[in-house]
Amino acid sequence: MIGTSIYIKGTVTGEEDLVIQGKVDGTIDLGDFEVSVGESGKVTADITARVVRIDGEVAGDVTGSEKVVIAKSGRVRGNIIAPRVTLEDGAIFKGSIDMDPGDTRQGLAPVRTEKAGATPASNPAKNPEMDLKSG
Amino acid sequence: MSSVTQPSQLLSSILQPLDPEERVTILDLGAALPETLAFYSEFRVKLYFADLFVDLPLTVAEEGPGYREQFAALLQLPADVRFDVCLFWDLFNFLDDAAIRALLEVLQPHLHPGTRVHAFGARNRKLRAGGERYGICARDTLSVRYRTQALPGYRPLPQSTLQDLMTDFQFDRSVLLADGRLELLMHFRG
Repeated sequence: MIGTSIYIKGTVTGEEDLVIQGKVDGTIDLGDFEVSVGESGKVTADITARVVRIDGEVAGDVTGSEKVVIAKSGRVRGNIIAPRVTLEDGAIFKGSIDMDPGDTRQGLAPVRTEKAGATPASNPAKNPEMDLKSG
Repeated sequence: MSSVTQPSQLLSSILQPLDPEERVTILDLGAALPETLAFYSEFRVKLYFADLFVDLPLTVAEEGPGYREQFAALLQLPADVRFDVCLFWDLFNFLDDAAIRALLEVLQPHLHPGTRVHAFGARNRKLRAGGERYGICARDTLSVRYRTQALPGYRPLPQSTLQDLMTDFQFDRSVLLADGRLELLMHFRG
């Protein structure tokens, strides 16, 4: 555990789970283990681990080989790569999330231009299809 | 903050399932919400969240950065990213004309012909204050979370005004909701 009064600048590696309540600037690589950034934790670093749980503040890229969880008190600015990402109510996130569940059987794909452009012929730019919804 | 769900006739067009091998890149200019992330977790997606609502109102000071510079700094988009879907929610109703044009200019290098766009406009300029936080619960269902305080700078935009501002976009479909909002589906013409 990195306690609340501890400040580490540099690279943190290891072969056990880690809880960060203090401040870390640099890089954190825990491989197959778990990193938890506690509510008082402030991390300005890229984090790599099997599971990353964030209750505090993180500025940096976060890679979780299993999952990343941003808890309700968590604030993250950066990019997340993980097969599963969970955001709890109240969490604040800005950045990108790259998710690939791996065994997905569905996908989303971009529209094809010629289909999306199908509109009434008279003045398509000014006459999009209009629906009236009572609900 | 209370929340409700709201059916959407247009969301399914944006999220139309096609090739399972296809990876889709999505820009969401609202808040990252748990239900949205849970919904996308079924798919191969790259999501960009940039909640511009927290930075409202956007203004240009005499010697400060212009709208373009402000949006570029707020979005911080990688040069090579191209979005397949852009979700503006009702952001346009909180920006003046110059800000809307600047935002679209900043985004255009990151769009491709056919990029789908979702936004809310208004039936007329008298529509009550908006600015809710929107999420996605299902292909045809949005979550709507009401803010405890109204956001500043609200000026609801009718579709005609948006069309005049968004000349590079094709307005494909619009749905008039019971409360006077217009749900809009567009695509970038390139």
